[in-house]
Amino acid sequence: MSASAAGRRRLSNVIVPIATVLVCAVYFVLPLIAMTRFSFQSIPVINLRWSNLTSRWSFDPVVEPFRDEQLRSAMYLSIKLAVATVFATMALLIPTTVWVNLRLPRMRSIIEFLTVLPYVIPPIALVAGIRVVQPHARWFLNSHYSLVPFYVVLALPFTYRALDAGMRALDLKTLVDASRSLGAGWGTTLRRAIIPNLRTSIVSASFLTATVVLGEYTIASVLLKPTLTQELVVFQQSNGQQGTAMSLLLLVATTLLLGVLTIVTRKRGGASVTPV
Amino acid sequence: MSLTSATTSAPDASTRRAPKQRRSWAWLGVVPFFAFLVIFLIAPALSVFQKALFDSDGNFGVDALKNAFTGQNRAAFVFSVKLSALSAFVGVVVGGLLAYTASTLRRPRWLRTFISSFSGVAANLGGVPLAFAFLALLGRQGLLTRIINDGLGVDIYRSGFALDSTAGFVFVYSYFNIPLMVLITLPAVDGLKDSWREACANLGGTSWTFWRRVGLPVLTPALLGGFLLLFANSFSAFATAAALTTKSTLVPLRIGFYLGGDFSSTGEQQLGYSLAAWMMIIMVVNMGIYYVLRRRSERWQQ
Repeated sequence: MSASAAGRRRLSNVIVPIATVLVCAVYFVLPLIAMTRFSFQSIPVINLRWSNLTSRWSFDPVVEPFRDEQLRSAMYLSIKLAVATVFATMALLIPTTVWVNLRLPRMRSIIEFLTVLPYVIPPIALVAGIRVVQPHARWFLNSHYSLVPFYVVLALPFTYRALDAGMRALDLKTLVDASRSLGAGWGTTLRRAIIPNLRTSIVSASFLTATVVLGEYTIASVLLKPTLTQELVVFQQSNGQQGTAMSLLLLVATTLLLGVLTIVTRKRGGASVTPV
Repeated sequence: MSLTSATTSAPDASTRRAPKQRRSWAWLGVVPFFAFLVIFLIAPALSVFQKALFDSDGNFGVDALKNAFTGQNRAAFVFSVKLSALSAFVGVVVGGLLAYTASTLRRPRWLRTFISSFSGVAANLGGVPLAFAFLALLGRQGLLTRIINDGLGVDIYRSGFALDSTAGFVFVYSYFNIPLMVLITLPAVDGLKDSWREACANLGGTSWTFWRRVGLPVLTPALLGGFLLLFANSFSAFATAAALTTKSTLVPLRIGFYLGGDFSSTGEQQLGYSLAAWMMIIMVVNMGIYYVLRRRSERWQQ
């Protein structure tokens, strides 16, 4: 009995993990294959045969959308928003995290709690709130760049922890004292002592922010801002293939940003790709 | 000599000066951060509750909150809860298994690194592009739709499948739910010590005994917490759902529907706000329990 039980155990110990990995691999790869084929092969699925599987492939569908004026300006807008959000995040968070770690370590748990709030208040609820205050703040919300502070908020669960983890790995107090005793003011200390030491954290926080901004759809679509995702959904309705090709490009860009990020942070420990 | 005096005198000076500063002005340093959050997050969130609780004449009432559970909105709540629970369940089971595999599999050593890195990427891949990928896979003209039709002779659309049905949404949402589950349960699964298994075997326990008496009880808080987190993740997902369907069958989609239209004459706009208020209430309760559970599961990790 024990021999057969052990045999069964050994068998299930092999089969279950292998089956799990295989099923997951198929599940995660198939949508990407289907998307790639739909993007680059101009043959409707109904007419697909083994014989024409390799014909009519072309990269035009991903080049063509760049000629579309509206989509191109949407792309520029999203990139500008991403860059602006990165800078706004850094301007807000670096001084705050330095200050909290240096002078207010007891406030850390409050700050941490606050930075998780954006997860509890999801984008669709946040944008409901924005609609409430919209009549009183049209002068601000009419600008496309009014999205920036909200995007800073959306990325906060990721960015704060990336920066805080980097900051904790430093001997911040010694660093600041050394810099200050050599005659540097707070500005110089931040710029020349703290920021260079936080390079990894800053890069990963920036990448995460860029991913969040480039993929954000909820707020932009309710406020009717012509960002990349919002225009992609419109574009997709009239031109499925090119729209899908553009989405694939966005997916690849996001994957690259996140992939580089996970590899970079792995060495330092403490990746923060989970929102909570 | 001068070096030592410099290093010892600098902290001294700062500690002598510090107490006075800390007591009075140090908190000023975080004022910008608090102000920012109040203006761009907390105030909008609270104003949703204000709109949901007070009608246009400023009278307090919970009618709108109650009305969120009538008619189509009720159906949306039922659908959202069902779908989120189901996709959380699938995510917990598959993600848990995958995390366990990643944690125990020793042979191809790169596999664990790959699974956790990939999870880090895929957990954040929700949204419009993901919806389009699944349209290409399982839409009416999807690749897999065709393969199933050719291979099994089943037209899944004729047998009631649709990407915006429960099964369809669960299938799509699993793409970001499973990796998220892997990320949050890996530490807990890593906390299962080999010595526990050996102790169990030495006492005459089988693999089944180990799981029933040791493994699962230790992992329960982590698995329950994962369920809640995935539930919240699915319940609040808007972008993926909006790109998959034009119908407003889910709570987030209905909120979007009310926010997008002009209902100022009918007063229905308030319904959108009360739906949003309910969503935040559900998220707060959900995440509150999640944090309690996570603290319990972290007890075994170390």
